Amino acid sequence: MISCKNVANLLMSDQLETQSTWKRMEVRLHLGMCGFCSRLASQIQQLRFGAQQTRVQNEPDPEFEDRIIRRLTDIDWST
Amino acid sequence: MTPTSPLSVGFLERLRRREPEALAEAVRDHARPLHRAARALGFAENEAEDLVQDVFATFLERLDQFEGRSQLRTWLFGILHRKTLERRRAAAVADRLDPIDQVFEARFGGNGKWTRPPADLERLLLSKEIGDIIRGCMGGLPVHQKEAFVLREVEGLATDEICKILSISVTNFGVLIHRARARLRECLESKGWERP
Repeated sequence: MISCKNVANLLMSDQLETQSTWKRMEVRLHLGMCGFCSRLASQIQQLRFGAQQTRVQNEPDPEFEDRIIRRLTDIDWST
Repeated sequence: MTPTSPLSVGFLERLRRREPEALAEAVRDHARPLHRAARALGFAENEAEDLVQDVFATFLERLDQFEGRSQLRTWLFGILHRKTLERRRAAAVADRLDPIDQVFEARFGGNGKWTRPPADLERLLLSKEIGDIIRGCMGGLPVHQKEAFVLREVEGLATDEICKILSISVTNFGVLIHRARARLRECLESKGWERP
């Protein structure tokens, strides 16, 4: 029987997909029975959702690409 | 051209000739995600723009070495990674031993069962400030872990592409993303968001 610690480590390290079919099934069964591990699994999703909210704050202004293009085309590439 | 398709020979040739339309297309397809990643890695607005500019300039200088077999995005993010390490040299020392591993280990007993189970962070998910809170916690991540987390969770890249960009194995990526998540969870729990 797979332990909570093993399940948690597989979930946290994104290594579930590299495991055998049997192991993945064992993890799925465990998640169906263990409230704490399934909470951890859903929190990893929540963390992803939250991390994606940071995208908006990190977007540059609308003229950003134009400035980059202008500077790149201004470079004398022959030197 | 989509951000995930390999470069066509024709487009590569146009870039080598420095055709303004080709340069503009490459910038419009890739500059924004690079800028977002640079900001998420902790660079200020002006530093991030300067860094993206530098990434494209380096890409164009080294275009002869690029055979077009990989995606342009992978190549550009790889340059961003190396530039980030150059600029964050002091912080970029590989962290083989990380105290966060012990913090995570301590949540389990000898039988592998939870002794300190994950707190309920439901309120955090529903909060409007979630982006700001995670952004604040991400500030405390070591640079390698932050890169792995940003590429995976913010930009949504696949493991194999991230491994190429960061020049690491799948196992090493697993260690980095595990530590990043463990550190972020500890940070969120420490803020008391689990309390009803």
